[in-house]
Amino acid sequence: MNHEKEQKTTNLAFSGTITSQLGGETITSCYQCGTCASSCPVAKITDKFNPREIIKLSLLGAKEEVLSGDSIWLCCSCYNCQERCPQKVEIADVIYALRNIAFEKGYIPNLYSEFASSVTNDGRIAKISKFMEQKRSTIGLPPLQPTGVEALRKILSATGFDKLQQKKEGM
Amino acid sequence: MNETKVGVFLSDCGKQLSKILNFEALTDYVKRVPGVTLIGRSSEFRRGKGLQTIVDAIKDGKVNRIVVAENLPKLSEVEIAQAVEDAGLNPYLVEVVDLKDHCAWPHRDTPSEATEKAKAMLLAAIERAKLLEPIGKLEFRALKSALVIGGGIAGIQAAIDLADLEFEVHIVEKEPFLGGLAARAGRFFPTDDCAICIQSPASDVKTITHTSRKCVYRSGFSEIPKLDVHTNSKVVEVEGVPGNYKVRIEKRPRYVDETKCVGCDLCTTVCPVEVPDHFNAGLKTRKAIYINIPSVYPPAYVIDGEVCKFHECTKCVEVCPTNAIDLNQKSEQKTLNIGAIIVATGFQEFDSNVIKEYHYEDENVITNLEIARMIDGFGPTGGKIVRPSDRKPAKKIVFVQCVGSRDKRWNEYCSGICCMISLKHATLIKSVNPDADVTICYIDIRTTGREHEYYYERAREMGIKFIKGRPTEISRDEETGRLIVDVEDALLKRILELEADLVVLAPAMVPAEGTKELAKILSIDLDKDGFFKEYNAKLRPTETKLRGVYLCGGTTFPKDAPTASLHAHSAAMRTVKFLSKGKLVKDQRTAVVNEEYCGDCEFCPVTCPYDAISLEETTDGHFVARVSDLLCEGCGICVGTCPVGAIELRHFKPDQMKAQMKGLMSINGTLKPLVLALCCSECGGTTVDSSGMAMMKYPANVRVMKVPCTGILQVHHFFHAFKSSAQGVMVVGCKSDGCHYEVGVQKAEKKVELAKILLKEYGIEPERLEMFNMVYIEGDKFAEAAQKMTERLERLGPLQLMEGR
Repeated sequence: MNHEKEQKTTNLAFSGTITSQLGGETITSCYQCGTCASSCPVAKITDKFNPREIIKLSLLGAKEEVLSGDSIWLCCSCYNCQERCPQKVEIADVIYALRNIAFEKGYIPNLYSEFASSVTNDGRIAKISKFMEQKRSTIGLPPLQPTGVEALRKILSATGFDKLQQKKEGM
Repeated sequence: MNETKVGVFLSDCGKQLSKILNFEALTDYVKRVPGVTLIGRSSEFRRGKGLQTIVDAIKDGKVNRIVVAENLPKLSEVEIAQAVEDAGLNPYLVEVVDLKDHCAWPHRDTPSEATEKAKAMLLAAIERAKLLEPIGKLEFRALKSALVIGGGIAGIQAAIDLADLEFEVHIVEKEPFLGGLAARAGRFFPTDDCAICIQSPASDVKTITHTSRKCVYRSGFSEIPKLDVHTNSKVVEVEGVPGNYKVRIEKRPRYVDETKCVGCDLCTTVCPVEVPDHFNAGLKTRKAIYINIPSVYPPAYVIDGEVCKFHECTKCVEVCPTNAIDLNQKSEQKTLNIGAIIVATGFQEFDSNVIKEYHYEDENVITNLEIARMIDGFGPTGGKIVRPSDRKPAKKIVFVQCVGSRDKRWNEYCSGICCMISLKHATLIKSVNPDADVTICYIDIRTTGREHEYYYERAREMGIKFIKGRPTEISRDEETGRLIVDVEDALLKRILELEADLVVLAPAMVPAEGTKELAKILSIDLDKDGFFKEYNAKLRPTETKLRGVYLCGGTTFPKDAPTASLHAHSAAMRTVKFLSKGKLVKDQRTAVVNEEYCGDCEFCPVTCPYDAISLEETTDGHFVARVSDLLCEGCGICVGTCPVGAIELRHFKPDQMKAQMKGLMSINGTLKPLVLALCCSECGGTTVDSSGMAMMKYPANVRVMKVPCTGILQVHHFFHAFKSSAQGVMVVGCKSDGCHYEVGVQKAEKKVELAKILLKEYGIEPERLEMFNMVYIEGDKFAEAAQKMTERLERLGPLQLMEGR
């Protein structure tokens, strides 16, 4: 990263945004020891994800880079890092906080978006395929009934989730 | 005493004050105050002719109370008090007011208002002076003997200093041998010298030059007259007072007579019991009768009572050529008469087992203290670096820094010395075995001491590898049997799996075992990290809140050997200062209990920061508080605590305070609401002084009254101020964590909070009362606060008390 680019992407208020978000409070304690990175099963297999780097970039205010990139969505939430962090930084929760901020800004990976649509439309986290129905009947299970999705929609509407979701779909 | 005759001496500070204050008006005013028998005027009264006027007036019997308006109040107070005492009057019958810094200078733009305020200040001082009582001098015994708890490098150095100065010294060491951590560490950085050598005692007649230093065991320090070493011993109980303690120590049996043992080693050759040698990191075994290393002090073997077969065996007894072994020895207790106590119990390694992912239970994962034993030629491997699992040479060695330190889960602080310890061990390994592959995994390398950075550079030159990253896990590869260290090289952003034969952990340094218990026995405080707390890190770095108890070495925080030594000499100096006269002299500026009112509550003993108050049973079965004049520091926190007003300060009695308050509020002279600023005599009061000295302005309606510590204040004092015409009250104390009497200002803060609630209840605006925490360099803050308080009161309008309704 050259100097000029860093100047453009630096947003000093960003760490304040994160600490005021639920789960993001502890980020400023990080002293970059790398315990999280070496604990991380994802970082072991791909250099696209490194929790230490996400925290460093966030603290330096590289807001756009962190929010628009893929890396925050790669955390598998195993909480290994959080267990072992010597500064009690709640790393996995910080990443959730970053995801929430990204979601609000409309940075939502397609996979998450589809998942969300499935929940709001059918009330299920997975689509029911014909294959699945067949399999159920062969082992004597009854066909799946439609879920009470109306109540769920009310909740999602009250929390403003549906608007965020629409924002994404409109993009 | 006969009728009070107050002499008032007004200094105009070289005619500077008379440019602002109307001294004729002041003289006229003072003249009419009842009890004033003499008024003197001069350009200064703290020295020369001015001071002589005061002395003459006392000698002629014209006055028996002195009020001096003089600048530089603290200096003046000392000089005038001394002269007054020499003239035959008790120095506590003097009251000094500062008409310059507290009046003329801050109010120089409104001279007539300043003059009216000066009248009030003088009246307050005169009324207080009339009620002053003489305060006597007390003498206490101070034994010229010291107890040093802990026989490591720090304890030994402090003991030698004191013994060389002919103090009686007792060293109490819990282990059977002296030397503490240094004896195990072998060498110390950055010189790689023996850790165990000490400065030769001055009394050593065979010492060739004063620069000579020697190993503890051959230094001859134990031969200094009046120096006693009690090994295998611990302090059980401390009774008495500073200068005159009775300390009970318990000595566990050694089973070997130190005066007979010649160290021939025959006993170990016949002893059938073999156990792991913990001193040597369990890398070898030792017998039930043993010494740690060849050169120990005392030079006598010891029997490990937990494993010896005693009378079932007796082989050592039979073989001992000097009949030094006595299997019937029992624990014994001794009481020592001690003037002062030096705590030098040091620190120890944190238990690495707590961090499960580092698998310290694996034989090949060891700590810095254990590798130190391996490096030591006297150690279990004869200086060879091996894998403990198979004793084969360790070729690949990984050091892991910050094990349990800088870690919020265990010890938040940086232990400070572990980086240098690991660098020392890494370079020592490299220098005997240049082919060894040595890596140090670190978060930050901290080499802040003198020459320490060169040491780090040398390590890099020698080819030691550095990885910036804290390992997350150490595991054993079952196939190869080698250790795997998972770490991210944060600089390269690479996740690494380092192979190692041997992993050396650099554990946090934590307070020595038994620190908490000892703190309880001695009634001294620990800090939040569990180390002993010094009274003031800058000014009294070896003192505790108790006179007579001192700290040195790693007891206050992990230290390297040179710093521990420095600390030890400093503690010895303080001890000498305390005991050298053989007596302790102090003024009886202490608290005193009115036993008629006091009874059956224990608020003051609990609140007193100096444990100066105890409850004693009276003949009629009640419990009353008794103040130790020796321990009392005269802060008045007890006065601020007593629910029935049964305790008071001899030099700050309630009627004196009330008279002073009334005087200050007697004349306003301005159109603004009167404000009483109750300041402590430490930081709070000096902030007011400094604002005046720097000619910062605030209005003359603000009147200052100093108390020893804001902790003396009770809620009724605030109400009394309002009753005495104050429209607002400021309480000015030290910073919350900087009270000179530990907790006084915190008590005052609580009192102010409580009073605010009550004021509201009584229909008085709670904003009329405010707490401020200030230090000397914040004079501007005081001036600003005084100005703002005035404006606030102007907005609130006049105070309506019940009488006014």
